[in-house]
This record gives sequence, C-alpha cells and structure tokens, in this order.
Amino acid sequence: MGFSVKKEIFDKYTALTICGSLDSSTAPQFGEEVKQVVTQNPQALVLYVEELSFMSSAGLRMLIFAKQKLGTAASLILVRPQEQLLETLRMTGLIFSVSIVDQYPE
Amino acid sequence: MKAESQFQVFEAAPGSLEPIRDFIASFATANDVDKKKIFKLILAVDEIASNIMNYGYPMAGIDDGTIQVSIGCQDGKLRVVLEDNAIPFNPIEKSMPTPEDLMKPVEDRPIGGLGIFLARQSVDLFDYEYRDGKNRNILVVAID
Repeated sequence: MGFSVKKEIFDKYTALTICGSLDSSTAPQFGEEVKQVVTQNPQALVLYVEELSFMSSAGLRMLIFAKQKLGTAASLILVRPQEQLLETLRMTGLIFSVSIVDQYPE
Repeated sequence: MKAESQFQVFEAAPGSLEPIRDFIASFATANDVDKKKIFKLILAVDEIASNIMNYGYPMAGIDDGTIQVSIGCQDGKLRVVLEDNAIPFNPIEKSMPTPEDLMKPVEDRPIGGLGIFLARQSVDLFDYEYRDGKNRNILVVAID
C-alpha cells in the first residue's frame, strides 16, 4: 500500500493529495509537508484523501497540529474521506474542526 | 484460508505496522468478519503496536525488540493478543480524554493522547496483563 503525498500551491489555498496508509511510520513524511505549508499561511489547507485507506492517531496529530498552526481564520478541508476515516474523526470529535466536502474548489 | 488461531512475530519497527495490519485483516476477512469491525480492530492494534515501538522498547533501551501478534476466533469473538518484552505499560491506567475534552475546539486540545483512547474505543473489550516479563495487550471484538 505504502504512502505518498503530493503538494500543489494555489493563490488562495494549498492542496495535499495523500494516498495509502498514514500511520506512525509515514506520519513524519506528511508532517514535513504540513510544517512547510503552515509557514506560508494559506487561507485553506485542502487534503484530498479519497485514496487514503488508513489513518491512525499519528495522522490525526498532524491534522490537529495543522489546524492549530493555521489558526481559526483558515480552514482545514478534507475532500472525500473514506468511511473509516470519518468514523475516526467522529470518535475523536475532530469532525467538528474540519470541513468535509465532495469536491474542492466547488 | 480459515484457521482457528494464528500467531506471527514481528520486528518492533515502524516498517512492521503495515504487515501487522495485513496479518489481522487477512485472518479476520477469512473468518467473514464485517469490514467496519475489521477496520476498527486494525486501528486498535496499530495504535498499541505503535506505542510499543515508539515508547515501550526505546524506554527499555532495547533496539531489537519484537512483538508477537496472536489472533484467534472462538465463540463469536475475535481475540488478538500483542506480547512484548518492553517496559511494563498498562494502557488501562492511562487517563482518557473526557467527552468534554473531545468537544473542545481543536485549538484548545493537546496534540497527544488519542492513540490509546482510539484503541480502547475501537474494541469491545480491552485487557492488559504483565506476566513473566511480558506485556500482554488483549483486544476482543464480538463478530456476530
């Protein structure tokens, strides 16, 4: 399965397409990208996660980190999360801190 | 292949997380366990195994530790046991985030502490024992 992350920078937002499994072995790679993104203060961080099949708390920690660094004015948007990821977001209450959409931009 | 129980020993290194998840998934799938339950069990096992690798063995100063993963199916229950020789660590004694914590806006949350919470929430029974110098984390899900 593995893991990959691809970054695209647009005027108003930065997008990361993440595929595979985000666990404690691959979270550092994702974390590096997130750290770079938040220094650029985008209005939104958009995560395309349709192909993300697994996310553990190591990945959730990165989402919390991103949201804290981005601040309340910026949004953290998840595009097409799989049901399992939604369930994990619900269990941890993080679902209230992210926006879930079917496509971005609309 | 359908089997009543299986075990496998994995190196306690991050590269083992995916093989451990695959080991659990293939056994559970062969036993016709519902996909959602499989996913939650995998998440729980991943969280516990990650803790053993990232904290348990490093804190014990052991750099070639192993994790034995056993899985069995009996009386409508799937039971997974993780055994390691790292420092004694009882996840049940660890304080869990409260419902109020989980409702907090993300800006006010601590970054850590979710792994064990997720592990314990994702299975029907979570048990722990320390015996003969070994941590035994026991995870059970009902599969009826």
